[in-house]
Amino acid sequence: MALQTTAEHVDGPEPVTVLTLDGELDAAAFEGVIDTVRGLYDAGTRILVLDLTGLWFVSSAGLVAVHAAMRLMRGEAAPDTEQGWEALRGVRQEADAGQVSTALRLFGVQDAIQKVLDRTGLGPLIPTYPDRAAALAGG
Amino acid sequence: MSQPVRRLRVPADLERLADVRRLVREGATDAGAPPGVVDDLVQGVDEAATNAITHGYAGRAGWVEVALAVNGTDIVVTVEDEAPVFDPTSRPEPDMSVSPRVRGPHGMGIHLMRLATDAIAHRPRDGGGNILTLTRSLVAQPEEDR
Repeated sequence: MALQTTAEHVDGPEPVTVLTLDGELDAAAFEGVIDTVRGLYDAGTRILVLDLTGLWFVSSAGLVAVHAAMRLMRGEAAPDTEQGWEALRGVRQEADAGQVSTALRLFGVQDAIQKVLDRTGLGPLIPTYPDRAAALAGG
Repeated sequence: MSQPVRRLRVPADLERLADVRRLVREGATDAGAPPGVVDDLVQGVDEAATNAITHGYAGRAGWVEVALAVNGTDIVVTVEDEAPVFDPTSRPEPDMSVSPRVRGPHGMGIHLMRLATDAIAHRPRDGGGNILTLTRSLVAQPEEDR
């Protein structure tokens, strides 16, 4: 099993779901993650925190899942997984316009993962926090 | 100084990418590559093998063979398949400023492959298929975006 996912619901003024991704987020795993996030949204999750502390590999396919999670949490359809750059372009334009959403948050991002996020331009578009408490608090 | 070539042939199944990554990670680490270089090689080879399985075979049965060798101060990895000939190096570098229609949909993995390696070369395989050669210097510092 290349990737294990665990969801935990945290009550509070703003209910948050923490989805922990352990292992490697690759082309074999990314569609499962999109399905999981879609299920969480359908069940009521509106703020999703991805705990990446135990994630040590992400491929371009994995980034498609991260991007899809971002879209799904904003109530939009997941992009066509074949869209690649085209879908990212829309997100970047929104970020340039100052419309970065905090409905998807990351923490525990290892250096190797951050490098891939930055190389594709996705990194600055997703609010990233130093630890779980900060990610839950948001802001 | 030199180590034997490590070689692994797996079915064209995305579930076997983890085995491919393990071979590259172990081979590059044993060759003395710093962690950033190891990560880059794993990234580049994963993207190449994923492309071969997803776009090359596109659901048909087949195999992907990865071989890792040390050549002087370079780590050289070949990714071989029997899929229809496709040369990813012939694709232009994706440019976020041009129309996505021009850029095409599959540029992200190839973009990552380029950033993770010092050189990529493609040649058709005798008997059909592709041989993609990814080269990364052992001694280079982990590279920033290029």
